Amino acid sequence: MAGTDDEGASEGTHVGATAGIPPVITEETAAFWAAAKEGRLLVERCASCGAESFPPYGVCRACRSREVEHVEITEHGAVYSLTVNYQRWLPDLDVPYAMVLVEFPDHPGVRVAGRLRGCDPEAARIGMAVAVGFEPGPGDVAIPSFLALEEPA
Amino acid sequence: MSAQICERRAVISGVGQSAIGRQVDRSGFALTIDAITAAVSDAGLALDDIDGLAMFPGGGKANLPGYANGNLYEVQDALRITTTWRQGQVEGMSLPFYGPAMAVATGQARHVVIWRTVKEGSAARGAGGRVAYGSTQPAAEGPLAWLLPIGMLSPVCQVAPYAARYMHDYGVSRDQLGWIPVTQRAHAALNPDAVYRTPLTIEDYLASRMISTPICLFDCDVPLDGSTAIVVSAAETVADLRAPVRIEAMAGVIDGRPSWEQWEDFGRVGYATAAAMWNRTTLRPSDVDAAQLYDGFTIEVIWWLEAMGFCGTGEGGAFVDGGARIGLGGQLPTNTWGGQLSGGRLHAGFGHTAEAVRQLRGEAGDRQVHDAEVVAVTNVGGYEAGAALLTRW
Repeated sequence: MAGTDDEGASEGTHVGATAGIPPVITEETAAFWAAAKEGRLLVERCASCGAESFPPYGVCRACRSREVEHVEITEHGAVYSLTVNYQRWLPDLDVPYAMVLVEFPDHPGVRVAGRLRGCDPEAARIGMAVAVGFEPGPGDVAIPSFLALEEPA
Repeated sequence: MSAQICERRAVISGVGQSAIGRQVDRSGFALTIDAITAAVSDAGLALDDIDGLAMFPGGGKANLPGYANGNLYEVQDALRITTTWRQGQVEGMSLPFYGPAMAVATGQARHVVIWRTVKEGSAARGAGGRVAYGSTQPAAEGPLAWLLPIGMLSPVCQVAPYAARYMHDYGVSRDQLGWIPVTQRAHAALNPDAVYRTPLTIEDYLASRMISTPICLFDCDVPLDGSTAIVVSAAETVADLRAPVRIEAMAGVIDGRPSWEQWEDFGRVGYATAAAMWNRTTLRPSDVDAAQLYDGFTIEVIWWLEAMGFCGTGEGGAFVDGGARIGLGGQLPTNTWGGQLSGGRLHAGFGHTAEAVRQLRGEAGDRQVHDAEVVAVTNVGGYEAGAALLTRW
């Protein structure tokens, strides 16, 4: 899968993410999940006003135009916040794992939640830089799985 | 105040509860009937007087293919709409009595019963532990489609990043947060119906296991079995009622993105609701004698304290530190029944509302707040929010 290269960071204690509950894929979200399988992060951009938004609705959240197109985000993001889950909510769930909410300085209006790889879960920090990535998730989808780019302070 | 405050045409006339416990070996239906009959009797009414019914969740899950389509929250988010009233969504009631109050205020009914029945205690026990949110469905729909597949399998994981960000931004510590469950446990010790009544110490709190950082076991409410019913009546019927309580003001606003990962700043989730509520009354935060603040998680009490103006933004940690201000006899006795953290997860503001009514009537027993005349009730710290002031008749 493209986009999962770890750029030198250690996979360390990372556990798999295939146990869980898959998404229902809809007309509005099909393009996102298809691109995810290719390791690409797609968000909607309004053809009318240029605003970007997430998740995809087929409607621009800024001007409410229905003329939206997809744009790929390739730049690094920053961790808005995070949590490390220790609870085995499902019988076959591997724990612990870190999950992050990621924002992109060059893409205002876009925040994407995903797992975090490339560092010890407890080493994740608010503000740390991450690269876009994906990993195999539940069912037959690839889920956002960001890659830590720096040793946290 | 130019707006018509039509909630003053409604009163809360009755509250009733079934047996409540971690496991009550009776059907949810039986518990529901117990609560409804108790609430109607508590109001001084008979079942034949009731002409309105509502339950939570309204509609519930569709049980036929194609029966339900779309999700209110997604429509609201996509079209960027601020709502001051909603109905028809699983958690689409800002407060349990919100819709019923509108119904009696506009003459559509005189006495409405609304109830909430949970069997989450037995369900968790039967499954060997609390299971993933949404695991009753084979795949995640709507806003959950972005959360469950990545492993955000519980509201604990969903609220946790916002708690982490808030604590990071304001320097609030777990040593401070722990005083909320510790103080509420002390209140629960005075409530015979509370689920957990044995003392909890700050050391117990700090030693408890992490669920999803920074949320530990004692930051989470307690699943239980039980039912709560509330009767809402038209104010013109007060002569027929045993002990009505006034609805001074109420509001429920969503002014951010209604999703667990997109809401800009969960610490602010109650601000617009609180502002709208205070705009409907001349009472001020300093007039409030006790507060029943939604506490699915400890952090939500902090956010409600700040949103309601009981302290400033970022000051919630200092406000609860040591427990004196939020304890019985303190500046703002909070969750005097033990809250959902120790009283148990009666959910959706039903337990909080029942306690507010009992305090205002002077029927709260050993945990009675002296001369309680004004009690605040807030509901839900997810992206729903509701707030009200109830006052003595």
